[in-house]
Amino acid sequence: MRLFPRKSLPKRLSRLQALSLFATLDARELGIVEGLLHEREFLAGEVIFDAGEEGQAIYIVQEGQVQICRPGQGENGLVAELGPGQFFGELALLDNASRALQARAGSVCKMSVMFRADLMNLLEVDAKVSSKIALQLARHLGRVVRAATAGAAMEVRL
Amino acid sequence: MSLRRRGPGPVVWAGIIAGTCLLLVLLQKVLWLTVPCLFALLLYYFLFSPMQWLMYRGLSREQSATTVMALCLLVMGVFFGLMLPWAAGHLLDGQSIATRYVQGGMGLLERSLVALEKSSHLFANAHLAEKLATRLDVLSGGIEAYIEPVVTAILAWAPTLLLTPFLAYFFLRDGGRFQRMLASALPNAFFERGLCLLHEVDRTTRAYFQGLLRLTVLDTLTLAAGLWWIGFPAPVWLGLICAVLAWLPFIGSLLGGLLVVLVAATDFPDAPAMAYAAIGLFLAARLLDDFVYMPVTIGRSLHLHPLVTVLMIFVGGAVAGVPGLLLVLPLLGVVMVVGEALGTLATDSRLLARYAQSRQLRREQAQAGLTG
Repeated sequence: MRLFPRKSLPKRLSRLQALSLFATLDARELGIVEGLLHEREFLAGEVIFDAGEEGQAIYIVQEGQVQICRPGQGENGLVAELGPGQFFGELALLDNASRALQARAGSVCKMSVMFRADLMNLLEVDAKVSSKIALQLARHLGRVVRAATAGAAMEVRL
Repeated sequence: MSLRRRGPGPVVWAGIIAGTCLLLVLLQKVLWLTVPCLFALLLYYFLFSPMQWLMYRGLSREQSATTVMALCLLVMGVFFGLMLPWAAGHLLDGQSIATRYVQGGMGLLERSLVALEKSSHLFANAHLAEKLATRLDVLSGGIEAYIEPVVTAILAWAPTLLLTPFLAYFFLRDGGRFQRMLASALPNAFFERGLCLLHEVDRTTRAYFQGLLRLTVLDTLTLAAGLWWIGFPAPVWLGLICAVLAWLPFIGSLLGGLLVVLVAATDFPDAPAMAYAAIGLFLAARLLDDFVYMPVTIGRSLHLHPLVTVLMIFVGGAVAGVPGLLLVLPLLGVVMVVGEALGTLATDSRLLARYAQSRQLRREQAQAGLTG
């Protein structure tokens, strides 16, 4: 039993905590991150970022659906579909490489965007917040690698 | 998406130089606001790191800005409170002090020419000392007439400097909100590049002003150490005044050197070696400044070619006088970043196509249900 019951988070912060990238942050840390996020809205079919562009931001889906696809290949080019709470664009953000795929809004969607320079600044200034975010990013990449490996094994079996 | 991936072409460069000159002319027209803004930016970048430290300890941006500004004002208040009795005593006879130092400098010049005439027939035949003495007699009678308008102008300007902490506080408190507002105005297609541009402008101005502060500290320490070693009175104050004067490219260093020579000539009239040692110290400090301090502080921050830097300083002086000399480099740095980014955006056909697609989608959404 807690001597001092934990205060419930304000709605805007609990919405942020629901996103997988920030799930482990406490109220103070969520407040810091909230100050760094930009809100964007995209219409269905609108390109969020294009393959070949240099990645400068990580996108977190708040509402709607996002399609990750290979441009110019129509339905066949669809690689993944992401929903609320999921994030994308992290690879280009980490190694400053070009975007490998195109991200397109599957429906009207609302997104939180964290700019690369702000994240890098956070990494330099607040080790605790940045380590928590980095750990979530690493977990996410681990899941991607495991999924890719499982997919490759399936292809071999087929 | 580095904004510096490709160098700007001649058209963009022409636009950058024209834009810088235009801004210099406009800023000169509102100089009463430009100077406090400049000092406020210096204060903003000086206080930004402590404010960020407080923010990361859990305070809101507003609380952090208020705390650091209150502490800064407290320190300034204590400093000026302690300085006030001393300054009041000196300001009352400030005009006579200035006259004394100018006359001391003229005396040194005259004595140097007499010494030259004694050592060389060429100078002796020219009667330089005699001619100069006649001219100086005419000039020295009206020194007060030259000093008075300068002192009056400084006193008239002083109240506008009270805007500095006020502006700096709002830069600190609302700077992030202002950047987010600008970012929110960007179309989706240009969003990432726009963020890069805003970040690069902020980085450039921050690097310039923080570099300027570091350069001032280094200059002050170097000059103070040198002046103390030579045996000057109040070496730290003299070093600080000269370091602040050096904010004006070229002219500032000359003024600083002149000030120290005047002090040497007046306070040590029988020791001309002091004045020559001060000149030597200034030349050494200048070389150290140009080849060591400047490249590691301001030079690196703006990524400007040395030739462009020197030419633009002359252009700044010609277009907007002394304020132009002070403003031209930070302005050029910012205009260059904006010019390069706009040049890249205007020629990126893929981005323009994305923007057109986005507009088409929005138009269709707005028109949905209007017909049929």
